[in-house]
Amino acid sequence: MLGEFEYLMITAAAALGDDAYGAAIREEIESTTGRKCSIGALYTTIDRLETKGLLKTWMGEATRQRGGRAKRMVRVTPKGVQAAKDFYDAVTRVSRGASWVANRTRSAS
Amino acid sequence: MTTFGWSFVEAAARLLARDEREAVLGDLIEAGESTWQGVLSVLGLVFRREAVLWKSWRPWLAGFGVALPSSFLLMGASLSVSWSYLTLRCPELLQKSSLTLGSGTIVLLCKALLLIGWSWTGGFVVGSVSRRTLWASIVLCYSPCLFCLSRFRVESLSRFCLFLFLLPAIWGVHQGLRISRMKLSWAVPLAITITLFMLPDWSSGAQHWWSLPRRTLDWALCWPAWYLVATAKRAGGLGSSDGLWSGGHREQQTRMS
Repeated sequence: MLGEFEYLMITAAAALGDDAYGAAIREEIESTTGRKCSIGALYTTIDRLETKGLLKTWMGEATRQRGGRAKRMVRVTPKGVQAAKDFYDAVTRVSRGASWVANRTRSAS
Repeated sequence: MTTFGWSFVEAAARLLARDEREAVLGDLIEAGESTWQGVLSVLGLVFRREAVLWKSWRPWLAGFGVALPSSFLLMGASLSVSWSYLTLRCPELLQKSSLTLGSGTIVLLCKALLLIGWSWTGGFVVGSVSRRTLWASIVLCYSPCLFCLSRFRVESLSRFCLFLFLLPAIWGVHQGLRISRMKLSWAVPLAITITLFMLPDWSSGAQHWWSLPRRTLDWALCWPAWYLVATAKRAGGLGSSDGLWSGGHREQQTRMS
């Protein structure tokens, strides 16, 4: 099963689609979670997920915005989508009886 | 980020692989990180990369299983070769040692070949087992060398006699970096030859009980040769037609990744 940060990474990459690369994923994670994402954690996790076959990466084009440096593009593989879905299902199942979920349901109704 | 500050970030990024350096530096520019944050980010990634390598048994084996203990023992063997050479050159010493010029030459030759064999196989194992942590193995090998160098007190021998093992060891490391595994047909004769060369030294010193610990420890220098046998490519396996050696660059690339 995926770890929490691995799930965040796959979800952010999937949300960005064809524009998924290191800096964009980092920004997506930081803006949605409000937590700092270090470059070290980002790239070692990308490598780990690629080794597991959950992500595919390749070197993209260089842009002026990046000082002529190439991007490391990321794409979620079907296996990665399945792993993220399994993680999400597990979290949803285990959260059903949790007080904060029940409170939210009650307050929403 | 200033050009001056950026040069620090670029210098730190040199510790990363080329593609990764490109991507990371680009990300830092895009994110508009400060010099300090940039250097910390890059060093953080370098540290994590190194930590991942040390999760494996390979760097531990290369550093603490071969480089560190072998350097101590090989310095002793280097001294022994130098001492045998000095004995041959000096008639008084030759007479005291109860050796003739012929038998003394054979002893010197055996010791020298043994030293080359031990050093080369040790170097090969260090180079092939853990390429990316080679720096750590080098540090672990040189630390005892510096320690012994500072305490060397034999007037008739040069201090550099301690380091006769270095040249074949470096040659072995170089070969180990290029080639991941030897062919079995080369590894077995090499290991057997090294073991056989050890037998005369073992039996000749049998009457000197005080040299027993040293001679017993010398057997530890044999294990890299037998490790090469244990990990050698069997005939008919992948890459068996790559010449004298097996599993060249293809395997190297797999391991590097």
